[in-house]
Amino acid sequence: MAVDKKFIGRKYPPVEYEVCKEKIKEYATAVGDLNPLYIDEQKAKQSAYKGIIAPPLFAVVYAKDAMAAPMFDRDLALNLAMLVHGEQEYEFVDVVRPGDTIVTEAFIANIEEKSNKDFVTVGATSRRKSDGRVVTNGKYTFVIRR
Amino acid sequence: MALQVKVGDTFKLQKEVDKYRPIFYAGASGDFNPIHIDGEFGKMVGLGGAILQGLCTMAFVMQTVSDWAQDPYRIKRIKVRFAKPVLPDDSVIITGNVTKVENNVASCTLIAKNQKDEEVINNAFAEVKVG
Repeated sequence: MAVDKKFIGRKYPPVEYEVCKEKIKEYATAVGDLNPLYIDEQKAKQSAYKGIIAPPLFAVVYAKDAMAAPMFDRDLALNLAMLVHGEQEYEFVDVVRPGDTIVTEAFIANIEEKSNKDFVTVGATSRRKSDGRVVTNGKYTFVIRR
Repeated sequence: MALQVKVGDTFKLQKEVDKYRPIFYAGASGDFNPIHIDGEFGKMVGLGGAILQGLCTMAFVMQTVSDWAQDPYRIKRIKVRFAKPVLPDDSVIITGNVTKVENNVASCTLIAKNQKDEEVINNAFAEVKVG
């Protein structure tokens, strides 16, 4: 059964995540991106950033819990066993650093049907809690086979 | 530091996916979907075994652009399409190609292939601040 288009625009509650240095280091090491800006306090201090920064795509870590709500939304009822990650888009608006608390809100950006598959796009808007500024905009497109 | 680029510039990075990479990435990212950490489960759902998280492959693409641009936050936007799963012990080669430079933004197309020359990420692009 097709995923109902009436859910386009549905919003989910904001979820907070506090960014920390050790988690940044763990992520950078796991993906094998050993840029000193992520893992080397001394070198990062000497850079234009004046300290450790999060890799831009660390967004997927601080947005993860906000993304869980649509995935497990019982009304939407996505068939997770048949779901694969189809496309991913990210816009990086501002630098994220250790100590930042990031608030992410997920929403259903689009639902469409193509060649007997459902394409569901979930948006994730992340803001820095201290000043309310948007830091990243994500779009996760999932493909659900029938 | 200024970044000088022109249309036609290319850049490249090769990443090796060791056997335990999906498990390290699961720990770091929180993505513990069994298709990534349980080979038996992966076989059961027709994937032939555990597959690497797509967002980990996307991180390889990000590093490719970031290393070339010499500053990760020069990347303003990225989009990728996951064409085929990446498996443990795969070798992934990511290639970027500058297609347009306008208003201090370089548009790059990106592609990632495995050691069998199969596309694992395609229809991908990034926008990078230059100058």
